Amino acid sequence: MSEVKEVKPKRELPLSRIMVNEQTAQVYAEAWAASEKGEPIGWSTAIFPQELCETFGVPLVYPENNAASISAKKLGEPFIEHAEGHMRYPINICSYARLNLGMADKIIEPGWEKVEPAMPVPTFLCLANNSCTQLMKWYENLSRNLNIPIFFMDCLYNYDEEEPAPHKIKYLKKQLENNIKKMEVLFNKKFDWDKFLEVQKRSQINRKLFNEIVALNARKPSPMNGFDLFNYMSCLVLCRGKASTTRIFEQLKREIEAHIQNGTSTYGSTPEAYRVHWEGIACWPNLGFNLKTLRKYGVNCVMNGYVTAWDVAYEPGDLEGMAKAYQCSSTNSFSTSSIMDMRTKSIEAFGCEGMLCHVNRSCKLMTFHIFVGRDMIEEKAKIPSTNFDGDQSDTRVFSEAQFETRLQGLVEIMKANKEAEL
Amino acid sequence: MKKIETLLDRFAFVANKPSAVMKVYLEEGKKIVGCFPVYTPQPLITASGMIPMGIWGGQITPTVAGKYNPIFTCSIMRSCLEYGMTGVYKGMSAVMMPMLCDTFRGMSSSWRAGVKEIPLIAFIHPQNRLDSGALDFMIEEYKSVLKRLEALSGVQVTNASLNAAIDLYNRKNAVMQTFNEVANDHLDIITPTVRHHVMKSATFLEVSETIQLVGELIALLKAQPIHKWTGHKLILTGITAEPEALLSLFEENKIAVVGDDLAQESRQYRTAYPAGEMAFERLASQWLNIKGCSMAYEEDSQSRGKMLVDMAKKQDADCIAVCLMRFCDVEEYDYPYISKATENAGLYSLCLEIDQSTQDNGQSRTKIQSYAEMAASLV
Repeated sequence: MSEVKEVKPKRELPLSRIMVNEQTAQVYAEAWAASEKGEPIGWSTAIFPQELCETFGVPLVYPENNAASISAKKLGEPFIEHAEGHMRYPINICSYARLNLGMADKIIEPGWEKVEPAMPVPTFLCLANNSCTQLMKWYENLSRNLNIPIFFMDCLYNYDEEEPAPHKIKYLKKQLENNIKKMEVLFNKKFDWDKFLEVQKRSQINRKLFNEIVALNARKPSPMNGFDLFNYMSCLVLCRGKASTTRIFEQLKREIEAHIQNGTSTYGSTPEAYRVHWEGIACWPNLGFNLKTLRKYGVNCVMNGYVTAWDVAYEPGDLEGMAKAYQCSSTNSFSTSSIMDMRTKSIEAFGCEGMLCHVNRSCKLMTFHIFVGRDMIEEKAKIPSTNFDGDQSDTRVFSEAQFETRLQGLVEIMKANKEAEL
Repeated sequence: MKKIETLLDRFAFVANKPSAVMKVYLEEGKKIVGCFPVYTPQPLITASGMIPMGIWGGQITPTVAGKYNPIFTCSIMRSCLEYGMTGVYKGMSAVMMPMLCDTFRGMSSSWRAGVKEIPLIAFIHPQNRLDSGALDFMIEEYKSVLKRLEALSGVQVTNASLNAAIDLYNRKNAVMQTFNEVANDHLDIITPTVRHHVMKSATFLEVSETIQLVGELIALLKAQPIHKWTGHKLILTGITAEPEALLSLFEENKIAVVGDDLAQESRQYRTAYPAGEMAFERLASQWLNIKGCSMAYEEDSQSRGKMLVDMAKKQDADCIAVCLMRFCDVEEYDYPYISKATENAGLYSLCLEIDQSTQDNGQSRTKIQSYAEMAASLV
């Protein structure tokens, strides 16, 4: 006797998602083409001023984004094992770094078996430490292991709550100017300031469009499953300065507006019982389980702070404003108090009833924000919060049982709060 | 010899009881600024008429710090927060914290949430140190730190008074380096534990007192006959090499420490403040000149490995021991290449895990014993 397993039909992807996939494939294809021609190709941290290489027309790929993609496909473990074993990296460092350092060591071997999306061997690195300081150490290691130069933007942590002081912005601006000069030498090309202005304008159009899209999810019920936003972040990471991103976001906006008009949602047919703010990076290898479990309890994580990290806002043509924007872009570039003020505002704007915090083993700073910030959220936003342990790439940290138990606890409090309001 | 023993007792006392030292300073009416590790601009504190004291936590299992620190915070920061939250640092006028790693970034918020009665003076070093804007930035950052110190002390710092303080710290740096050299001629007296006491006490004592006491010790040691050490010799690298029980394992196995690159010890003394007229420029330039440190970004990414191997060869050491503080990212990223550079140079590489929240040195004992046995078999 054999059981017949029911095969669920794959959900058809919306056009905007197909466009994202095509754009991503194009980015990798261009990088490989440049690599095969012996032209410069860079690996870049996720919030480096991409406007520079976009203006030079030199392709970049992004290890953090790549690690997330590979982890979501559950293909990261062999690279992480290689980094921890053969390469001796301790288990406590960021898992994106372990995955990528392991991969960087593998891809220089002739005939290595590619894991898609595969990045070509870089000839230079672009480093901005606005997300964290581990990036500096990670890229130092890449530079040492691959013997290639780094273009570095030291973005300075905003340890106080005030606006960045003028001397900080001056230092950032100076680095932008110096990096442009250094790139001119390495790429053997003059920097085209007119094209730069156009790239800046395009970057601003794209970030504004994405903000508008995110804001649409403030409607009740939401037109989107909040996790969908993770799928479109890559456009801002890989192609913030490209017209193709504008086309994708315009299409996505049309799709969401259609949902609003039709009273439908990408969250599906399950009623949205609870609206929750997600704090932290996704558990990429466990995304499917998280989503399924959240749906089981009618929870929609309508908003998360991570997707706003690429809101690099400045006036095109204003280099000083751009310098300041890169200093202030990432969630991790501010003190907990500043971050939690932002979260309180978005919790209110999106009508969140609880906060679900990912204690991400790989991201110390976000975890510090959670530990220090949960009292602030409960006091200022007056909503309950809960934590669960996980990781962005390392599958050994996350526990399905703990995630569900913690979620159940949060749901019970949110339910009691709702009933008390009645 | 009696005089040496008296001095060494003093160093041991200061290293193990910094709170008693702080109490005396407070009773003398002095103001104290706690300095988180590492590279705090201490001449600014001295010029402001206050005393900088190192903050290095302690060998404890924290009970309250977990409220604001994740479990995967390095133990030194957890114990520092624990001490802050439980009143051990009470009496300090402020603490100064450099944003050198992610844990410091997070700790700045943890401190503000958990230790409300001791104000935090946070500041950040420029990491793109070869960039032409780095020096100006560092100068301005230190100026903003000084404003806060002046407000605490009520002392107006001038270019001349800051230059005098910088000169004093250059003397301290020089005296600590001389001690390192002289100690290697007297490894029977300057055991790993004694060496650690001298180095650690220098982070707590007033700068002038350190210069005087370590200077006296150097003079007394020089008067002793040179001792021919027949045991093994090694170099320590990392943040700290504690607890003392770990150091006594070296002693049990006839291993001498003949040099170090520990953040708590020599790493902070090996870069002099350059000469010059403009005090802030001297102060800021020192940061730009630091080499071979896990916390300072460097374009020469081989710098620390080369430096350690050179140090070992110069001192005739056959081993470099990485004292790897658990959850210290910056050190953990450097570990693979340091250990490989060590082995490539034909030296032994030891990795000893450092964790202030445990007294268990079992693993370290086994590693140290096996190194001693292997090295002995080749003699």
